[in-house]
Amino acid sequence: MQKTEAIGTAAAVLLKGMAAGDEAALREFYQAFHGRVYSFALKRLRDPADAADVLNEVMLEVWRSASRFEGRSQVSTWVLGIAHHKVIDILRRRKDQPQEEFDPDSIVDDGPAAVDVIASMQDAAQLRRCLDELSDAHRLVVHLAFFEDLAYEEIARIADCPVGTVKTRMFHVRRLMKDCLTRLNPRAALSD
Amino acid sequence: MKKHADHPDELLPWYVNGTLVNGERQNVETHLLSCERCRQEVSWLQNLRAQIKDDVSPEPGVFGLNRLLRESGLKRVPTRTPGPWWRPALAAAAVIIVIQSAILIDFLSRPTPITTLGGPAAEGVVLQVKFAPDATEARIRQLLQKVRAGLIDGPGALGVYRLRLEGVQAAHNQAILNVIGELSAHRDIVTYVARE
Repeated sequence: MQKTEAIGTAAAVLLKGMAAGDEAALREFYQAFHGRVYSFALKRLRDPADAADVLNEVMLEVWRSASRFEGRSQVSTWVLGIAHHKVIDILRRRKDQPQEEFDPDSIVDDGPAAVDVIASMQDAAQLRRCLDELSDAHRLVVHLAFFEDLAYEEIARIADCPVGTVKTRMFHVRRLMKDCLTRLNPRAALSD
Repeated sequence: MKKHADHPDELLPWYVNGTLVNGERQNVETHLLSCERCRQEVSWLQNLRAQIKDDVSPEPGVFGLNRLLRESGLKRVPTRTPGPWWRPALAAAAVIIVIQSAILIDFLSRPTPITTLGGPAAEGVVLQVKFAPDATEARIRQLLQKVRAGLIDGPGALGVYRLRLEGVQAAHNQAILNVIGELSAHRDIVTYVARE
């Protein structure tokens, strides 16, 4: 059994305990997932207090609906899906308008090549700044693909969108990141 | 816009994070053998992923759990309750996370005394340990016998086991330190040890 499958199986067992009202199971579940849920919310909301609220609301909802988990997806997918909706609720309350799709004609295909932009990515601050410039929908895909290492089908389930949309958003992320990193570090764009 | 119809461009991020399966993974690997452009893109994505993974957020800590327990309406139970019914099932699942050896799975399936069933909290000194993934049952048993420690609980979801030291009182600090030192010296068996 792969490690991720084993962790998923352990989490499913904890959910059964929580469904039976067992506090010890809730504590262990919290310990196992609180870091991931908090990080997921913080990367998108960029506010520790709001991220802590999301974490608390997610755990409460998991506690209350543990008996309704049907095992059709991984536990982590289910939990992050709940977290996604909580984050969206906060973004709407803030009246931030998530920037969805933009005009694909605005993408110039002869942008910087990957090899020219690697140097500028060494600077973590520049990378963070470029990630912050992304829309929420794009940040979601980047976080789930590269921090959580999720498959595109799982990302689609969490984000509640088609697989094609996930792939399109990732395409846009790559181009936006390269453009931003080049803008912040023009010398990286010089070819050899 | 240039067409890159022959490049599996949209799959490269998921090749990098290791989630492509079956034919998709093979197709990408075959393509990379002969495409410098895509190899460069993979390298860029690998850098991006590494940087994102390095950007770890601070955790809310114990205050988050206390808030959750308060709002869930659960009372905090100060003494240990009898082992919950789901713990054997959790142990069977979680042991695979921590220990790959089938021998150790057999070791853990044997009945171990959980001293607090329906009674007072465990007396004596209790340590928390984590075992190395490739530590065998024989070596773990040998080490525990050497330090006169017995397994009383675990693993939890994070792979932590609880050991009780036999014949050691809480005030015997030097004896406790000696045991911790002995366990710590065997890094190939014990990766973490701390007094509870």
